[in-house]
Amino acid sequence: MATTKILIVDDDPDLRQALKLRLRANHYETVHAVDGYSAIAQAYKERPNLIILDLGLPAGDGFVVLDRLQADDKLSDIPVLVLTARDPQSTEQRALDAGALAFFQKPADNAELLDVIRATLDHNQTGTLLPS
Amino acid sequence: MSEQSKHVLLIEDNPGDADLIRLRLVEGSHPVNLSCVQRLSDGLASLAEKTPSVVLLDLNLPDSQGAETFRKVLAKAPDVPVVILSGQDDEALAIKALHQGVQDYLVKGDICRGELDRAMRHAVERQALLRSLEISRKQQLEFKNQFLSHVSHELRTPLTCIHQYVTILLDGLAGEVSAEQKDHLRTILRSVNQLGAMVHDLLEASRAESGKIRLEPRCVSIVDLIHLAANMMQATAQEKRVGLEIAVEEAIPFVHGDPDRILEVLINLIDNAIKFTPADGAVTVQACRVATDPEFACVSVVDTGCGIKPEARALIFERLYQDPNAVDNSRKGLGLGLFIAKELVELHAGRIWVASEPGEGSTFSFTLPLYSLAKLLFPVITYQNRLRDAQVLVRVDLRPRTKPPRGNWKETCSRCLELLQHCVYLDKDVVLPPMAAAGPEQTYFVVASTDLNRAEIMMARIREQMAKLAELKASAEFEVSASPLPRPDRPGEPSLELQVADVADNVTEMIRAAMAPPQSSA
Repeated sequence: MATTKILIVDDDPDLRQALKLRLRANHYETVHAVDGYSAIAQAYKERPNLIILDLGLPAGDGFVVLDRLQADDKLSDIPVLVLTARDPQSTEQRALDAGALAFFQKPADNAELLDVIRATLDHNQTGTLLPS
Repeated sequence: MSEQSKHVLLIEDNPGDADLIRLRLVEGSHPVNLSCVQRLSDGLASLAEKTPSVVLLDLNLPDSQGAETFRKVLAKAPDVPVVILSGQDDEALAIKALHQGVQDYLVKGDICRGELDRAMRHAVERQALLRSLEISRKQQLEFKNQFLSHVSHELRTPLTCIHQYVTILLDGLAGEVSAEQKDHLRTILRSVNQLGAMVHDLLEASRAESGKIRLEPRCVSIVDLIHLAANMMQATAQEKRVGLEIAVEEAIPFVHGDPDRILEVLINLIDNAIKFTPADGAVTVQACRVATDPEFACVSVVDTGCGIKPEARALIFERLYQDPNAVDNSRKGLGLGLFIAKELVELHAGRIWVASEPGEGSTFSFTLPLYSLAKLLFPVITYQNRLRDAQVLVRVDLRPRTKPPRGNWKETCSRCLELLQHCVYLDKDVVLPPMAAAGPEQTYFVVASTDLNRAEIMMARIREQMAKLAELKASAEFEVSASPLPRPDRPGEPSLELQVADVADNVTEMIRAAMAPPQSSA
């Protein structure tokens, strides 16, 4: 069975490592990016099945990344979950409008995050989505 | 400003007084551009058109007398300095005007050379000073909020880090952990969660203070919210061996409010009650309609805790207030919970208060406006003073095809609601405001003044329109159904209001039944 690859985009090395441990324990392969620029580069190179995106990033914040992903035919299908310490009141709607599938404020509940990851991936692999 | 010619608006109906003022102005040291009107209405119109440097205002005009005159001017142009021209006998009123924002007054007939000029100049300067004070106050508030928002964001990052690694250890992802170690890790986790809640409260309190909390009001079942809140707090109560119960006897109509915010109020109050109740005590959540004001529901959180002294009762909803004699002194928190609860309740146009005696426990109560279905229904289900012949409840269910939903689900839902509005006859049908929903699934209801046969036509129209909606096609499936509403059958000849109220009750009942969660789900 092909492994499922998740791209973690976060500028905090400790948080990246923690998320990596958590995801690997759940049998996901992980790759990472530390800023907005390398997020796009990694998305191209690694073609992840899903992206977990922080909003506060150097070299192009999370919103820039969302816009770039959406604007690119090759990348716009990759589901993106936003995971951020920022205030949801000012950012949640904006992130969803920009194409994120779900919004989590840090610290997020692990079980809930994993549930949404699983549901998103299941759905993408069975391909029940109608072509739009 | 003194270099330019000043624009003075004189509102004065007595031609003699107006001439005197004009004379004084001509003598003055600065060029003045004077407009003169005799009626307040003309003055207000002139204010709307062009902002003068200063207003000279007589209080007794043909179309307005006394205090009313300056109140209207101040309301119309709060930033323009006003100098009152008072008669000998109404100086008291002029002094009262000063307290309410008028800059100065002059007694007519007593105005000496230079006095008018000086009064106007000072009025302008004071007004400018007041404005800059107000601007600087707002800037400081804004700065404080930005600071708090920044701080809470920065605090969250290390907090998240601790949270992540503690849960990694607890879940055994980094090797086996002994029972004792697990216990310690849980203690860390609990403290981290407390810290997280405090950061949240800090941000919420600063938002409340600056009026930045946005409500998204819905039609909400308060009873469901109470159950939800009690479920969420059950673990905290059990840990302290405090009983947590719900006692709701009567059927309570829907309230009109933001479900997330009401839940926050409930959790704050329940958390507080548990905190101040000793082991083996009990916390009970009650809800009822307000007997004296049938447009409100009242929710109470009753505890058997230590109670609150009268002097503390007055202060308890102030921000940062903490009872110095609280039993549970080790973990007091920030003292923001009740302040936030009060702000949220008041945003909903409700009231919050506490009744308590030391040693006898406390009862925190708050009211929320009931959602008045009858008011909404009245114009569409009545015609020429009688109830229309038949009513049907049309139900539209909207479910996302995926979880989480594709695309911008909120937007999809609001597009759908918009579309429903276009499918009904405005004078005979009404789309009810969206119901609060636990998940992404949305159910919309339409009350239509028609029979089931004709409702089919409307349903066909809705289906056809919804099938055309592109967002909907990609991300959602929907279902449209209808059921007839029973005719009210009160004996005798009930008033139209009573009949409408009966229909509203029937609608509430049917919606409640339709929205009741299936028993099997968690």
